[in-house]
Amino acid sequence: MTSPVELSVRVNGASHQRSVEPRLLLSDFLRHELNLTGTHVGCEHGVCGACTILMDGEAVRSCLIFAVQADGHELTTVEGLAAGDDALHPLQTAFREAHGLQCGFCTPGFLMTLIPFLRDNPTPSDREIREGISGNLCRCTGYQNIVQAVRLAAERMAPEATP
Amino acid sequence: MNRSYVGQSVPRNEDRRLLTGQALFVDDVQLEGMLHVAFLRSDHAHALIRGVDVSAALARPGVAAVYTAEDLGDYWRPGPLLVPPPPVEGLTFNEATQVPLAKEKVFHVGEPIALVVAESRYVAEDALADILVDFEPLGAVVDPEAALAPDAPILHTQFGTNLAAHVVQGHGDYEQAKAEADLVISRRFLYDRGAACALENRAVAARWDPKAEELTVWDTTQAPIPIRNGLARMLGLLESQVHVVAPFVGGGFGPKIMMFYPEEVLIPWVAMKLGQPVKWTEDRQENFYATTQERGQVHDAEIAVTQDGRILGVRDFFLHDTGAYDSYGLTVPINSQCTLLGPYSVPSYHSEFKAVFTNKITVTPVRGAGRQHGVFVMERLLDLAARALGMDPAEIRRRNYLGNEAFPYNHQIIFQDFSPLFYDSGDYLPALETALETIGYDSFREEQRRMREAGRHIGVGVVSYIEGTGIGPYEGARVTIDPSGRVRVATGLGTQGQGHYTAFAQVVAEVLDVDVEQVHVTTGDTREFGWGTGTFASRGAVVAGSACHAAAQAVREKILAMAGRVLEAVEEQIELSDGHVRVRGAPERSLSLGELARMANPLRGAVKPGTEPGLEATAYFGPDRGSTASGVHAMIVEVDPETAMVEIKRYVVVHDCGRLINPMIVEGQVQGGVAQGIGNAFYEKLIFDDSGQLLNASFMDYLLPTALDVPRVEMAHRETPAPMNPLGLKGVGEAGCIPTGAAFAQAVEDALPEYGLEILEIPLSPNRLFSLLEDAHDH
Amino acid sequence: MTIDGEYTFRAPRETVWELLQDPDVLVKALPGAKKLERIGEDRFDGIMRVGVGPVTAAEWSVNVQLKDLVPPESYAMQMEGKSPLGFTRGTGTVTLVAEDEATTRMHYHGDVQLGGKIAGVGQRLLDQVAKLLARQGLEALNREVEARLAR
Repeated sequence: MTSPVELSVRVNGASHQRSVEPRLLLSDFLRHELNLTGTHVGCEHGVCGACTILMDGEAVRSCLIFAVQADGHELTTVEGLAAGDDALHPLQTAFREAHGLQCGFCTPGFLMTLIPFLRDNPTPSDREIREGISGNLCRCTGYQNIVQAVRLAAERMAPEATP
Repeated sequence: MNRSYVGQSVPRNEDRRLLTGQALFVDDVQLEGMLHVAFLRSDHAHALIRGVDVSAALARPGVAAVYTAEDLGDYWRPGPLLVPPPPVEGLTFNEATQVPLAKEKVFHVGEPIALVVAESRYVAEDALADILVDFEPLGAVVDPEAALAPDAPILHTQFGTNLAAHVVQGHGDYEQAKAEADLVISRRFLYDRGAACALENRAVAARWDPKAEELTVWDTTQAPIPIRNGLARMLGLLESQVHVVAPFVGGGFGPKIMMFYPEEVLIPWVAMKLGQPVKWTEDRQENFYATTQERGQVHDAEIAVTQDGRILGVRDFFLHDTGAYDSYGLTVPINSQCTLLGPYSVPSYHSEFKAVFTNKITVTPVRGAGRQHGVFVMERLLDLAARALGMDPAEIRRRNYLGNEAFPYNHQIIFQDFSPLFYDSGDYLPALETALETIGYDSFREEQRRMREAGRHIGVGVVSYIEGTGIGPYEGARVTIDPSGRVRVATGLGTQGQGHYTAFAQVVAEVLDVDVEQVHVTTGDTREFGWGTGTFASRGAVVAGSACHAAAQAVREKILAMAGRVLEAVEEQIELSDGHVRVRGAPERSLSLGELARMANPLRGAVKPGTEPGLEATAYFGPDRGSTASGVHAMIVEVDPETAMVEIKRYVVVHDCGRLINPMIVEGQVQGGVAQGIGNAFYEKLIFDDSGQLLNASFMDYLLPTALDVPRVEMAHRETPAPMNPLGLKGVGEAGCIPTGAAFAQAVEDALPEYGLEILEIPLSPNRLFSLLEDAHDH
Repeated sequence: MTIDGEYTFRAPRETVWELLQDPDVLVKALPGAKKLERIGEDRFDGIMRVGVGPVTAAEWSVNVQLKDLVPPESYAMQMEGKSPLGFTRGTGTVTLVAEDEATTRMHYHGDVQLGGKIAGVGQRLLDQVAKLLARQGLEALNREVEARLAR
């Protein structure tokens, strides 16, 4: 076994220093070391997208990254999405209103995939939305209401996007 | 009642927690001093175990314990038979249930042989590599037909055969029907294996508290109460000493109703043995080997019809691959046998099946639970008959539907709930006409011709199905007015995304006239509610929903009686609305439900004899038999004969699940079901080689449909209320995936008439369709 | 899985044959081989470290039994391997044909069965990996042959 490595990350705005095994996956680090269990693990081989988080603002699969690779980076997980205890992010609100989730296990991954997607393309077509989420698997919804939720969120978030 | 909630698309109460990452799933459970478990699983499909050497694993730093079958002592015993065979005359059933850890023999790849308990999952997996197992490989039984060959290796040698069951059911005289028929069509149909692939893998965590003498188990099960009862029995504890929680569960789809999985038996035992909390979480690869699967069947079926397309009879012989064990009894093949009859009048029916053991993962219900096989066979037979008669596929269905005067209709065979296959109600023809109209069936041929001239191949498929739902035995619910004025509801079901927290709240909110958000529902916690069976067979909303309704009614009566006493008015004068009771015409004489609840639980004084404290009631609902949902699916596809790629252009569902509690949730269930049906029809197939090795045990090779593969589903509801329950509900959980394969096959054939294709198998990958097209071309 | 192929060595047949029987040479040539020793006449035990596509490299303990030896022309072999990722079993034949005094053509054929995790996730890539490993091994062997002849 290799000796532990020092790791320093910012997650949802808070700094964390830990000493971890080099082989520890980032998804396990977030879930078990930092107790941020909103990031889910569905396949551990990078296909299902449930473990998607933001690293320096871009969507990455935390099951395909070692925790030590996140050293010095800024991470956002689903727990960091809503502004406050009561407020939901407009994307979260849209998912609720459009019934874009059922069991909710894949949902954090969809949300974190969609944050940079909508930032880069604030007015996506349905086709673009479907392409944007085609790397995330959902077994419950048939995707239809997720597409609807993204459309709804895009409409609502648009005014903020334009100066 | 002033406000109506039942029938409204109310946003879900559970969503906030799920959307913010605050919902608790089993793998999120973290306990002080918790140890982690990994299982050593068989690499062989069929082999004798000559010996297991765990010494090196035990010596590894960080390993707390390693257990094999030998270490379990008396705790090692075959699991319970979950569903006994139904009372069908002349039935054969050979019972072989799974064991916690394989002792002398393994029966499928992935069967657990040993488990390691360690300080982390990483170390536990390291230690698996230290364990040496001496196998003596045996010949494997993979193909269900080969299982019954005289020289086939035998799995469970005590039976001397791989036959797990033999069941014959039917009514009328098929031979006579055949003799009178103008047309008889017989074909062989294949339906291959798939996996449920809930996004959350299974997990079990357990803690034994020696001071409280209490075992707490978190389990991704669809049936927490039977898990509690079984664990109590196995571990020699009182049911009250075992607390099972199925918190948020990330999709069930059937396999999570299976019990007892070896891991469910072992993790609590380890927690008690070591006096430390332990957790095991399945990884995705394990899920392909350790979680049950479904679907392998081979049907030799025949239909006898008249010149004008009326069904005289159907005969079906089929083989059902039950895998290594038959712990779930015969639910799946019985469903196939019964659901084949569909919404049709079938004057004579002979159905005979043999379930066989194979060296593959055990088969238990997966969404649809055998129903889609029956629907596929029947709908395909009708299509082939229509083609032979030169009749429109929609027309042959129209001519054979049971009329509305037929209900309740008795098919005179036994269904999975052990009672006769009764259809409680239905209204089939309007559903078909709505579907045809929505998809533009009449103008489609013209469109098809136009497209064809442009070199494009489009086709339409329209199929019908019924689904027996909402079966017994019973569920219960307790409704309580909390002193805060909020309403608490507890039921024994587990929930896996069906929106029970909201649907049950709507049922109760309507009866008590409070806001839906004020109703707090708990499911899947045996401490909260200790009686019930589980979430299966599209029964949750029907059976537990009806129990919630009954309990809420009883609470309502208590509220009115108590308010009458307190407000000094006759009950008839009391108005219940908006979370308050008022005397009609005297609005100042009013109390909130919270105040009334506090008064119903006084600290001093006397409670009136014959009354109970609090505003609370428990009720149970047990339907005599299920309620029959039905529907029509229609789809338009475009096929590229060069590449064999199929694009679904439109998908229409007309669904009748009786009265809707929450149309938004119902539509979501159907859309999700359709997506699984599409996966089943065109993408998902578990591939085993001749030695029983599973060759595609990952999401890279076992393809789930993505957002690019699933079309938008256009939906219309029809509501034929079920007479079996007070709300008129029918189940909907499985409906979406049941007829998809049949509709897909019909549409693909229709797109390529010149090939004269006969699609007689599911799933149909692009590769397989390509070779079918080549074969058709060669002829 | 079936592996078929041929390879041409620029060396006399006897030299190639000799090398193929020498575990010290083979352990250097076979990709991932960490240990190979003769444990009996025509029996070898070894350790190899091999990964396939997404499957993490794992140590395989391998046992090879040579049979039907016809020096310097041909032999058959039976192979068994075990690792945390599963097991492999197979049979193979190797034939050496002297093209001329300084050139030897090798024909090889193997039937390999895989079980366990490796079968479930590696199958799609195994053909390619097996071919690649065979080619790398033979090329390394050829370099060894040429080095020897140059001495």
